[in-house]
Amino acid sequence: MADLTLDNVRKVFDDGGDDIVAVDDVSLDIEDGEFLVLVGPSGCGKSTTLRMIAGLESITAGEIRLGDRVINDVKSQHRDIAMVFQSYALYPHMTVRENMSFGLEESTDMPDSDIHSRVEDAGADLDIDELLDRKPGELSGGQQQRVALGRAIVRDPEVFLMDEPLSNLDAKLRAQMRTELQHLQEDLGVTTVYVTHDQTEAMTMGDRIAILDAGELQQVGTPLECYHQPANQFVAGFIGEPSMNFFDVERQGTRLIADGWESNTSFSYPLSEGTLDELGDTTDLTLGVRPEDIELRTEVEGDHAFETVVDVVEPMGNENAVHLQFDLEETHPDTFTATVGGMTSIDAGQPVVARFPEETVHIFDRHTGEALRNRELDSVETLETTI
Amino acid sequence: MSTKTNKSTADRLFEVDYYRVALYGTLVVMLAFFLAPIETGIVTSFKTQTAVAETLPFLPAGGEGFTLSKWNTAIDVLSRGLLNSLAFAVPATLLSGLLGSITAYGLTLVNWRGQVAVLTLFVAGIFIPYQAVLVPLSKFWGVYVQLGKSLGFFWATTGISKDYAALIELTVTHVAYGLPMCTILFRSYYKSMSTEMMEAARLDGATLRKIYQRIVFPLSKPMFAVVFIYQFTQIWNDLLFALILVSSSSSPAAPIVLILSGLGSSMEGTDFALRMAGAFTAAIPTLIVYILFGDKFAKGVAS
Amino acid sequence: MFDSFRTVTRQLVGGEDHRTSADSDDEIRTDGGVAESRRRTGSSGGVLKAVRDRFGEDFLESTPFWLPTFLLMSLFVYGSIGWNFLISLTDFEGFAQEPDYSNLDFEMYVQAVTSEAVQTAVVNTFALLVAFTVVCLAFGMVLAILVDRGIRFENTFRTIYLLPMSLSFVVTAQFWLWMYNPTNGIVNMFFGVFGLGPYDFIGNPNLVLAAVIFALVWQFSGYTMVVYLASLRAIPTEHYEAAQVDGASTVKMYWRVIVPQLKNATISASVVLMVFALKAFDFLYSLVGNFRPPNGSDILATKMVREAFQNQNWAYGSAIAVLLFALALAIIGPYLFHQYKHDNL
Repeated sequence: MADLTLDNVRKVFDDGGDDIVAVDDVSLDIEDGEFLVLVGPSGCGKSTTLRMIAGLESITAGEIRLGDRVINDVKSQHRDIAMVFQSYALYPHMTVRENMSFGLEESTDMPDSDIHSRVEDAGADLDIDELLDRKPGELSGGQQQRVALGRAIVRDPEVFLMDEPLSNLDAKLRAQMRTELQHLQEDLGVTTVYVTHDQTEAMTMGDRIAILDAGELQQVGTPLECYHQPANQFVAGFIGEPSMNFFDVERQGTRLIADGWESNTSFSYPLSEGTLDELGDTTDLTLGVRPEDIELRTEVEGDHAFETVVDVVEPMGNENAVHLQFDLEETHPDTFTATVGGMTSIDAGQPVVARFPEETVHIFDRHTGEALRNRELDSVETLETTI
Repeated sequence: MSTKTNKSTADRLFEVDYYRVALYGTLVVMLAFFLAPIETGIVTSFKTQTAVAETLPFLPAGGEGFTLSKWNTAIDVLSRGLLNSLAFAVPATLLSGLLGSITAYGLTLVNWRGQVAVLTLFVAGIFIPYQAVLVPLSKFWGVYVQLGKSLGFFWATTGISKDYAALIELTVTHVAYGLPMCTILFRSYYKSMSTEMMEAARLDGATLRKIYQRIVFPLSKPMFAVVFIYQFTQIWNDLLFALILVSSSSSPAAPIVLILSGLGSSMEGTDFALRMAGAFTAAIPTLIVYILFGDKFAKGVAS
Repeated sequence: MFDSFRTVTRQLVGGEDHRTSADSDDEIRTDGGVAESRRRTGSSGGVLKAVRDRFGEDFLESTPFWLPTFLLMSLFVYGSIGWNFLISLTDFEGFAQEPDYSNLDFEMYVQAVTSEAVQTAVVNTFALLVAFTVVCLAFGMVLAILVDRGIRFENTFRTIYLLPMSLSFVVTAQFWLWMYNPTNGIVNMFFGVFGLGPYDFIGNPNLVLAAVIFALVWQFSGYTMVVYLASLRAIPTEHYEAAQVDGASTVKMYWRVIVPQLKNATISASVVLMVFALKAFDFLYSLVGNFRPPNGSDILATKMVREAFQNQNWAYGSAIAVLLFALALAIIGPYLFHQYKHDNL
């Protein structure tokens, strides 16, 4: 076991003379036994990063270290890394047992009897001991998934790499495997890097998550840090479902005025002293507020409430996603989303007042995307203790 | 109203029937077309000289006209060639298939740049008219690499005639010129193999050789069948190399097609019955392969 | 810090080869510095490293798999073609062991191009190539469409149609010699039904080429059928249904909707058919059991072999072989280039 360090790792693909930067100076420190989730939209470079750690992709610049060992030029075969692939990549002509023994036979001098008992143990742990003598083609998707995991586990490697391993499972099985994988990783204590495009997986599974966009690392932190204190607008928008609402605003004096809304002057958001300090001189801003932080009321009360009309209601049982519109004349049809409890009765066309409490809003520099102000964490902490 | 519908259904039924009859009729005529030369060949091979001249070519001769002597002669004359052909066609088939598979693995499932250039040369090798290499080929074996001489020790100790060196030459030649086709057939198969599986094997610590041995090779079995059948047919049937590398049909090492090409023609005219019997003797191995594995042969030619 | 200390001591002790110092160079870099300077390309020296960087990580390890066979194939295919060209520039003939390479010229080509026999052979080669390919394609397509009409015993029909292809040219030549024979052949009996003939198909220089083409079509139209059938099966049923809904007749549907979709199959089948046609040597040789094919059917392939291996005009034969090769290249080249461009290899 060891910690895994990525130091300014860079990957440039040569596309017929054009250099395409897939991974741009990514640095990560993954502690021994940590579960790190690499998350981002497709094409963000997360899989390339994982493949560089695995040795399946060469490293253009920078360094990857496992413990004290630089593994840039170490072949995949000798990195002592196990990987679970999206397609599971099981060997179709071998039985489950042979699939699981293959890695030990090839990478160690372990006697057959030891390999046998290790495979048996792992099979029992994963509840696939009944299937050991079947071929992958005879197994269900979920069972194949377990075999793929088992194949990684028996190796007892320094690092587990997982490339969207749950994406081929149906929703229910995926949720179940999510928890199971977490337990397994905790038990084994193996450093794990997990790639996914699904922010729910990222939030629920990782000790920490690393968010990538366009090859650049946006933020590394615990799921709650990334959720409540996003480093920039990309992270704020990517993490959370439904995603954060953004409004382009301009700071005029102590207020944020909706940008480009000539006819409607009703959106004017006053800021407190403390918030103003955080903003500095920047005037072109983006105001962000999470759907669950928007309070829906019947009448305007205080400075941070606005008259809106309900556009669409998406009932999800436990809660309703309410799409709201500011402008009654629909000259400005952009909607934003608020979530309210599932038992709240609310209908399309109904006028409501939406309040954006100042302690919950995020403010970003509209040009750089950098978060200038994140929501106050006092409430987060109290929330955590009350749960 | 209802009678009208009935009538039109009946019409349609009649129409459909008519159309099916025409379709099957055409197909059967085609069947006759494809089988006629083979059928007339079979019946003729059992006829005496007089029966050949006096009976209809597509009807079997009965009684007096029936004879097995042509087959006896054909098998007598050709059995030497049959063994010779087997002696080089089988090893050449196995070798070119195996080497083609290994080559295709190195050019498809292992990642390196410049594979396409090498592959292009292999593909182009399929389409070369062999006439363009014949003179050098005959000089190569005849003047520069004289296996009859260089392996003199081998011929001397085993007591095998030097003429059989031609079989080794034919084996090597067929392997070399068969490689492009075998490689491309395997490549098309390997292209559809999962790259993730190859990567998984590497992470499992397997070397390139082990990956081939334990994963790619076992998974190639269906393709081996296709390639072996295709190659065997090609090598067995080839006349050109046999003609160039084996001095004459009287050589002890003459392949069957070479002996067959001169069979049954003499001063008095052509002995068609003998020729037909000989043609079938020579065709038997490929016919057996075709009848047993016809679908695989079709697969091979289609790709 | 420690690394650089080590490097310093190494340099003080001295005498270490370049590789070690290059390695330690890398180690220093791990301590910091600009990302650009860390680019590893070619940094740790050595030809091996350079080769790896150029061709990819697994290039060297992959060579045992493909390089030996590649060399063998290249020697026999490309080496021979080059050597053949060289020989064609000499005056090599007769029983001489080796050509004389000191005096190279294009005399053999001049001789070949001006020779009437070669010109006839070129015309015959083209006629054979074109007629054989076109008829085979058309006939094979019709067969494929018929077999594709949801018939019973499809496999049997298909197997029998393809059967002649598994036979050697030497064998099929015997069959057709018998089929065409003027006194007792089935073909002449067929014509006799209409009061025509008998014709001496093999002996008549005006008929022999057509007769040979017909026999080759018999042997290979099963192949085109299989190729077309695979291609027809790939066309979604919706296309047939859509055409029927649009009210197209069956013939129109095939002509306007289905046949255009067989373009790729046609291209690849034609290329393969032309290769088969170039091998027609075996067939022509076997008709007579002699280097001299029946009058009127001499093609470049037979002419070349006859000149070289019967008349011992090695250089002249080589020159004809180069012409044949150029002809094949003119046909195959564009196809290969197209495949290469579209990454279809």
